[in-house]
Amino acid sequence: MIVPLALLVVALCLALGGWALWFVVRDRAVVLRQLWGGAVIEAVLLLQAVVAGVLAATGSPDVDGVLLWGYVLTQLLVLPIAAAWAFAERTRWSSVVLLVAALTVAFLEYRLLQIWGTV
Amino acid sequence: MTDRTERSRRTGSGPGRLLVAVYGILALAATARGVYQVATKLDEAPVAYLLSLGAGLVYVVATVALATDRRTLAWWAVSIEMVGVLTVGVLSLVDVGDFPDETVWSGFGQGYGYVPLLLPFLGLLWLWRTGRAAEVPARPTT
Repeated sequence: MIVPLALLVVALCLALGGWALWFVVRDRAVVLRQLWGGAVIEAVLLLQAVVAGVLAATGSPDVDGVLLWGYVLTQLLVLPIAAAWAFAERTRWSSVVLLVAALTVAFLEYRLLQIWGTV
Repeated sequence: MTDRTERSRRTGSGPGRLLVAVYGILALAATARGVYQVATKLDEAPVAYLLSLGAGLVYVVATVALATDRRTLAWWAVSIEMVGVLTVGVLSLVDVGDFPDETVWSGFGQGYGYVPLLLPFLGLLWLWRTGRAAEVPARPTT
């Protein structure tokens, strides 16, 4: 795992989470712009998956492939599913769901770094 | 929040929206872990790893049931989950061989921030509350 890329993912997740938290406090539902924010995170995650794939193929660190790709796939799935689930709800609870999803992706990033052996 | 008298409150709406989301994340995490354990190292601790996969599937059922308002199924899944986390939690405390090692329910779910311990209580509370709302017939608002 490239550490700067991982830090970017975590920073973006915390930013989206903070945005969602602000909406929770203001009693507002998720707006479309926040979903675009989620899409940006997904793009970085895809980039990270490609980089990890190249690094793993060239045999950089000795990682458990099944475990690594399990986490990569799981991490890619969380935001789209949670965002769709959240967006259907037009109350503040949709913002809570987005907040939890963003924090989950950030935590999975931390686990990925552990698996990769950088933490 | 819209002010409405609901004949039956759907289990997947309002606060239930969050409950389903957290259930979904645990379902994904536990099932993925279970599949990984069963696929790669089943012979090391078959009981623990099959239990791990089983726990994941219980979460999947609970998630789907709560999301689609299948109340009876949700009651079953959440109850099984409560029994599971309490039983495996106690067994991992007294440490019976390698049985409850490495599952979502080990140590009352401490590997997952004790969310697996908290969740069934919240789930049953939510089912009870939304169920009570369903029993009260819709009254005309005056």
